[in-house]
Amino acid sequence: MKTTRNCVEFILDGKILRLNFAEESAIKPTTTVLNYLRSIHGHKGVKEGCGEGDCGACTIVVAEEGIRGNLEYKALNSCLLFLPMLHGKQLITIENLAQKKGQEILLHPVQQAIVDEYGSQCGYCTPGMVLSMFSLYKNSPHAQEDSIKLALSGNLCRCTGYKSILNAAKIACSKGPEDHFTNGEDAVLELIHSIHKNTDPILLQTDDYQYYIPFTTEDLLHYKSGHPEALIIAGASDIALRQTKKNELLPNLIDISQLNDLKFIQEDHAGFYFGAGISIEELRDFSEDRYPALFNVLNVFGSHQIRHLATLGGNLATASPISDMIPILLVADASIRLISIHGQRELKLEEFIKGYRQTDLKADEIILMVRIPKNERITFINTYKVSRRKDVDISCVNGAFSVELSRNNRIDDIRIGFGGMAAQAKRAAITEAFLSGKQWERNVIEEAMQLLYTEFQPISDARAKAESRSILAGNLLMKFFLDVNYYTKTQADVI
Amino acid sequence: MSSEIRHESAIKHVTGEARFVNDLEPRKDVLYGLVVYSSEAHARIKDININAANELAGVISIVDYKNIPGQNQMGPVIHDEPCLAEDRVEFIGQAVLLIAAIDRETAIKASKLIHIEYEPLPSITSLEEAISSDNMLCPPRKIETGDLESGFAESAHCIEGEVRTGAQEHWYLETQTALAIPEEGDEITIHASSQHPSETQAIVAGVLGINRNLVVVEVQRMGGAFGGKETQANHVAAWAALLARHTGKAVKIHLFRDDDQIMTGKRHRFISRYKIGFTCEGKVLAYEVELNADAGYSTDLSRAILDRALFHTDNAYYIPNMRAVGYLWKTNLPSNTAFRGFGGPQGMAVIENAMDSIARFLGKDASEIRYKNFYKQHSENITHFGQNVENNSLEILYNELLISSDYNSRRSAIKEFNSKNEFAKRGLAITPVKFGISFTTSFLNQAAALVNIYQDGTVLLNHGGTEMGQGLHTKIIGIASNALGVDAEFIKVSSTNTSKVPNTSATAASSGSDLNGMAVNDAIGKLKKRISTAIANHWNAADPQNITKPENIVYQNNNLTDILYPKRIISFKDAVKIAYLRQTSLSATGFYSTPGIQYDPQKGKGTPFYYFVFSMAVSEVEIDVLTGGLKLLRTDILHDGGISLNPEIDKGQIAGGFVMGLGWCTTEVVEWDNSGHLLQHSPDTYKIPTISDIPFDFRINFLSNRTNPKTISNSKAIGEPPFMLSLSVWMASKDALTCCRDTFVGNNFDIPLAFELIINKFTFFNRQPK
Repeated sequence: MKTTRNCVEFILDGKILRLNFAEESAIKPTTTVLNYLRSIHGHKGVKEGCGEGDCGACTIVVAEEGIRGNLEYKALNSCLLFLPMLHGKQLITIENLAQKKGQEILLHPVQQAIVDEYGSQCGYCTPGMVLSMFSLYKNSPHAQEDSIKLALSGNLCRCTGYKSILNAAKIACSKGPEDHFTNGEDAVLELIHSIHKNTDPILLQTDDYQYYIPFTTEDLLHYKSGHPEALIIAGASDIALRQTKKNELLPNLIDISQLNDLKFIQEDHAGFYFGAGISIEELRDFSEDRYPALFNVLNVFGSHQIRHLATLGGNLATASPISDMIPILLVADASIRLISIHGQRELKLEEFIKGYRQTDLKADEIILMVRIPKNERITFINTYKVSRRKDVDISCVNGAFSVELSRNNRIDDIRIGFGGMAAQAKRAAITEAFLSGKQWERNVIEEAMQLLYTEFQPISDARAKAESRSILAGNLLMKFFLDVNYYTKTQADVI
Repeated sequence: MSSEIRHESAIKHVTGEARFVNDLEPRKDVLYGLVVYSSEAHARIKDININAANELAGVISIVDYKNIPGQNQMGPVIHDEPCLAEDRVEFIGQAVLLIAAIDRETAIKASKLIHIEYEPLPSITSLEEAISSDNMLCPPRKIETGDLESGFAESAHCIEGEVRTGAQEHWYLETQTALAIPEEGDEITIHASSQHPSETQAIVAGVLGINRNLVVVEVQRMGGAFGGKETQANHVAAWAALLARHTGKAVKIHLFRDDDQIMTGKRHRFISRYKIGFTCEGKVLAYEVELNADAGYSTDLSRAILDRALFHTDNAYYIPNMRAVGYLWKTNLPSNTAFRGFGGPQGMAVIENAMDSIARFLGKDASEIRYKNFYKQHSENITHFGQNVENNSLEILYNELLISSDYNSRRSAIKEFNSKNEFAKRGLAITPVKFGISFTTSFLNQAAALVNIYQDGTVLLNHGGTEMGQGLHTKIIGIASNALGVDAEFIKVSSTNTSKVPNTSATAASSGSDLNGMAVNDAIGKLKKRISTAIANHWNAADPQNITKPENIVYQNNNLTDILYPKRIISFKDAVKIAYLRQTSLSATGFYSTPGIQYDPQKGKGTPFYYFVFSMAVSEVEIDVLTGGLKLLRTDILHDGGISLNPEIDKGQIAGGFVMGLGWCTTEVVEWDNSGHLLQHSPDTYKIPTISDIPFDFRINFLSNRTNPKTISNSKAIGEPPFMLSLSVWMASKDALTCCRDTFVGNNFDIPLAFELIINKFTFFNRQPK
């Protein structure tokens, strides 16, 4: 066993802050960044709006070193972020944005734009809104309306109707990314490097908590085999809710957010290979050009803040019945590779998902990666999500569809996967069997819709009634049918 | 220009400096207060065991109703709301016990150790059941005009239908919060997030059993309110005060989001039925409407809300023969309360749907039917409650908006789009708003102010209004800046404080700047008289040959000038100093009460409103019939705001009100299960609009050359009316759905038009029974 440390280090207000959890009784490893900031001097601008990452009032920005060696500025929900997750990163709060020159306050361009455009009314959502806009300003200068909306949809405002905020963002983002942070970036990177020199695992221990941060997969697997009961978190966007919403104690955690081994995206002639540690946002960015069907659903997955926190591995491990991710992976015939101290194994995702939030993951295993094979025979593949609200909403039903059509428009193979229709994300085996070998025609699809109406026995809950879900399953098939026809027609036109 | 002042707190907002109640830390040892609430919709409390919780380290105190030194009562109008439940609970979320602990974690731990044993009693958790079991809260209200029966007899056609409008959660970003600080003796200071500090003061005094002169309530700003903090902010304040009294320490209560949603009241859901008679041309002759409102377990403001709903059943339409009846029903749910529009939206929705149904029946465009029935200028201008509709701009709004929104050519484009698309359907609608301004409880239409001028020439304004983001303080600064001729930078609005301006009305009913602006103006008028007299004397003493009359002194460009002797000029700052040296009082109170309004609820007649606000919107939607997805393609709003006190702030109110209404009409669903549990109790399932939901093309304009001679600087109230412009989206959706297959949309149409309603109603394949 390697030596471990009992403290984390991150950058705040231009300096490295070293937190020793054994010495400071006011904090524990699962103290959220929100509660921490509100407990210290000079950082009360951050606000709690919901405690579940749905409103964005608690948004802060975390700057970390990107793959190109530059600083990337990520807007995150501080209500879901445990303090140790800041290790080796720069925490930027609302108090850091304006500069004070004597008596004069020099506002950051995004702040100035909000003031000029009357973009604040009550002011409670404003600090979070400013920081989301700041992250956009730094990362996507000259962002257009669509990207602005995507970046700000995780920040709820009840006063303005957003019109003034949208105007402010357009004005501010036309100026980015230069600002007073630009000049200090080298110094920040140096501080980050100095923190990262030490790659000994971190073990934060208090009377009630053990919080382990490995830096290599090897350290992780060793620790996990010795602590099979420990929960693994990466972004903690799901697990943190147990604390913030259900007031559970999370005494034993392994934080794999520092594990760069798990953050890879590769592609070859046979398929795609996605490391379990990549964020949903990274996967979304990649899939925009390389896998539109995946992109379509990831684009309406959580908020900007949540997509930066949540990881592919975390999403699969929770095995949610309304997962946005699993249906498309089921349809794409994805496999999942697991690793433990005893070696690796790969199984089909379908075998991995065992039931309602249940997987085949053994206590000493972790998810290494997901593999999606390339299948040239597929004519078309797509995903559809139905939710009450377009952005930042959990699916009522989501569907993924792929079809292989022969030259005479016969269905050689069709795969249909749903979230929200059963206790687990599931393929529509009966309807698939019915369609297989039939003609790709409207009347056949309408028959299949009726079949889908009865194939599942979904539940009624706060998001949708069972009846609606049953209707939607079929309706989504019809949407796919129309899309395939549109696609094949335009393809034919091109040829 | 005083009309171009930016939000007075904007820089504090964007830098995070703006402090809300939860940010205040007057002392190190502020205790955390937690409310333990009922888990039953209706039950007798058999036993409460707090022993284990009491023993937990860090728990300072646990109190129940027996620890209340004063009255166990916090009903604002009718005293039917206990501060803490005694032997019975009447809804899930009702406060039973209060815990004071050293921090949130400890308080939550303690709450888990408390055991309350209930004996369940029969409960009513649906409005239908309340109606069918005749569980009425108070006698029905009625407004009538003309002769309904002969109106129907004269009508060529008649339509009947039902409109259900859903509840709505306020979803202010800042949940209910209060900080209570015990002072000397029995005195106590409350930092509240309340729209109605005077009532908060009264209720805290009542619960503590002390006189009101011992309670100071201060409101710096609220993180949104929308009516949700008009009465129900009193609750957290009373609870925090009770814990502070009991522990002798400062106590803060900041409700967690889920608790706030579960415990507090919402917009009243209504089930409304209507019957409307009209001529072959679509002119309405008779309208009968019955409103059934879900009041929740107690009265709160429900009577006034039902009144306003009844006042707005006509919306913008002249109807000669009419009967509007309203019922308040009691359910075992949180007491529903004020919410932007205050019943107006529920009343208007019914007539808007009726107008649309008439158009469909007659095969005409709904815009024509609406236009035909608008109130006119000189005849057909008396409402069902007998008030004259003056300064009516409906026709101008309609004509200008129809052109600027390109209504007619878009109508043709939509027809073509719909004929080419099987599953995507577009719809278009124009809807008007006529909204009455004033508290309908007439005596509430009063306001007071206290204006202090200091020797350095700076001005501190105190008034009874509260700032919840609506820009009231900014407008008040603009009014003072105009009146004193002094730049805004020298003028500040103090936080609202009951010890400075007493006996205030709630900042509500869109009346904040109308009432408080006038009161501030009154105080400034007094001060100007005094200063002018002092300066006239000053000048005249130095040069007795030329006599300056005080009334000839004007205030502009930070100076005082005698208009007859322009060389007699002095800076405001110097003038103030001289006035002080000449022993002049530089502090004055102001007062205003709205003239000429009265209403007799027994007769259902009177002039409850000082004036009306008129506005209109055109919206175009596209509905994906397969998923129920709704895209709001474009909204054009044309608003008659008089001469706006601050056009950008008013545009912000219009956009904000419209989008809030959009949420009510589309994605915001509130449901309780049969046992009274709220299903959507967090933003996880309760969906207010995001930035992606606003119209792709969103145009807001003011009608030019309008004025309102009755008010401060000829302005008009702005807060509530824009909310109801969102009915244009609802009606455009109905228009789109009418184009779906051969489905008859019918005369019943509900709010919200959630996606489930669309796919259930318009599903195009035949469902085989399961």
